[in-house]
Amino acid sequence: MAIKFTEVSYQYSSPDGSLFDALKNINLDIAKTGEFIALIGETGSGKSTLVQHMNALMKPSSGQVEIYGIKINHSKSKKQKLTPLRQKVGLVFQFPEYQLFEETVMRDIMFGPRNFNISKEEAKQRARKAIIQVGLDESYLERSPFNLSGGEKKRVSIAGILAMEPDILVLDEPTSGLDPKGRDALIDLFTLIHNTYHKTIIIITHDMNIVHQVASRVLVMREGELVFDGTSEALFNNESLNKWNLEEPDLIKMTKQLEQRYSISMRPFPKNIDQLFHHIKDVI
Amino acid sequence: MNNIVIGQYIPGSSFLYKMDPRSKILALILLMVTTFVLTDIIQILVLLSVLLVILKLGGIPIGRIVKGLRPIIVLLFFTFTFQVLFIKTGRIILDETLHYSFYTILLAVGVVLFWMITKRFIKFKISYFLMMIVGILSIFMYYPIGDPFAQGQLVIYTGGLQGAFFIMVRLIIIVTLSTILTLTTKPTDLTLGLEQLLKPLSIIKVSAEEIALIISIALRYIPTLLDEANKIMLAQASRGVDFKEGKLKDKVVQIISLLVPMFIISFKRSDELANAMEARNFVPGNRRTRLHILTWQTIDTITIIITAITIPVAILLRVMLG
Ligand SMILES: Nc1ncnc2c1ncn2[C@@H]1O[C@H](COP(=O)(O)OP(=O)(O)O)[C@@H](O)[C@H]1O
Ligand SMILES: [Mg+2]
Repeated sequence: MAIKFTEVSYQYSSPDGSLFDALKNINLDIAKTGEFIALIGETGSGKSTLVQHMNALMKPSSGQVEIYGIKINHSKSKKQKLTPLRQKVGLVFQFPEYQLFEETVMRDIMFGPRNFNISKEEAKQRARKAIIQVGLDESYLERSPFNLSGGEKKRVSIAGILAMEPDILVLDEPTSGLDPKGRDALIDLFTLIHNTYHKTIIIITHDMNIVHQVASRVLVMREGELVFDGTSEALFNNESLNKWNLEEPDLIKMTKQLEQRYSISMRPFPKNIDQLFHHIKDVI
Repeated sequence: MNNIVIGQYIPGSSFLYKMDPRSKILALILLMVTTFVLTDIIQILVLLSVLLVILKLGGIPIGRIVKGLRPIIVLLFFTFTFQVLFIKTGRIILDETLHYSFYTILLAVGVVLFWMITKRFIKFKISYFLMMIVGILSIFMYYPIGDPFAQGQLVIYTGGLQGAFFIMVRLIIIVTLSTILTLTTKPTDLTLGLEQLLKPLSIIKVSAEEIALIISIALRYIPTLLDEANKIMLAQASRGVDFKEGKLKDKVVQIISLLVPMFIISFKRSDELANAMEARNFVPGNRRTRLHILTWQTIDTITIIITAITIPVAILLRVMLG
């Protein structure tokens, strides 16, 4: 196991001293390789808080997170070196504004690798590679990160983490605020990284189509609790989908309508248009 | 991050909360003047005990006041030391020779080191610090080992102690007064009160409304910006920045990586705020109506009268005793 949550709870304390339970008794195992996990749930359900525990940015109020063998819990243990974990588990934050600061995109992407003592030359190489990976061209490297559009900033911030070459890639709402084309390009990129290097990828998203298309495993958060952990097929057949305020993906909605209309069965649900055609062909 | 509380307001319902912010601000100023007029130790102690009674009646926990005193503890310490050392009136209560020799200095350094290492584990930091100071002094005074290459004289007079004590009480009273104000008044009410009190300044072309607006926006945004700073630190930490460590050169980069996003986000926020205000047709200087209107009650009049009377009384006492 790369990351293991054992009875993890986290409380935010507000200035007036009251506590707010953002995570309640979370148990979770995440494998080193091969998983493509979608983390979903309403805004405020604790998704971002959960992923910040995955690279030791936050320490649980109670319970324990184990990341690559290093145990992290509330006790004020002697200085643990946590920074190396952040190279292993790369976390891309939701808002790129919180991290872009260098004069050029090149330097900003190099910032992460340089912090992990990668040589300048190597970091430059990685920056060139990463910028192409996120679907921008090399001319962007010389631009200022502040003159980019929202979507471009987002991609640069992702490139900044990719260049650290983490084992596990965690992305907090990477597709929010992107146009459909940019969104598809990013999802293709994550799928490619996943397929080529078998890296575990965890993305937070509200887009059920993405969940349906790419996720091999889905986690559903609700009011600080992890209420579902299973395959996407199991999720979309789950009775509680409505209770969790989750929608069905378009493809499944359509398939269900076809099934009803023509009293046929098209199980398992198609994952993409091709599979849908196959089903239709079979029926005909 | 969360212990930096700018608006210290804690909800409550005692008479201190029901008062008009204007009368609270005025009373604060009047009482401060009184505090500075008083020169007699007994009188200032009487004032302090009256304050304690008000705290009790107003339902404010003493703990909160002590917390308010914490930032000025260094100041208190230094004023105390200077007063004790430099006021030379009254009887002598301590007259000791300080022996500075190689060994005593070595011992003193040892004590400081011991203090620095162990202070992390001690709960009462301030008392521990004072103990360290006393320890060092007693080494110089009572253990004259080795050949002293220099000698000093530590002379403490009753006047010094009295003066030091007096100044401490005076500072404590002033801080307590302002803490009472900020604990029992919402920041918005505070600025509103300030705005009304500053209104007369419009004669000399100072816009009280704008000053109040600036203050309230600043108060409103300080917690937000702290929150943002926290998020930026987390975002940079996930790119390998270790804010706790690093050589000077690394530190500079770390701070830049925090400050640049901070500025950009602040500018963006202020731009958004300006747009939002304009969209609601806010024009600086125009007459506006208020949702909350301050109401001056009998208790406010009484407060102002009582606090105002303390000033001539203090002057009278001073003249009579002086
Ligand atoms: N710094 C904070 N202080 C206090 N409460 C917070 C803080 N950050 C988040 N919260 C609260 O914790 C809950 C979970 O937040 P978050 O993990 O950001 O949710 P999500 O990412 O699912 O939208 C929310 O209700 C939010 O209001
Ligand atoms: Mg979030």
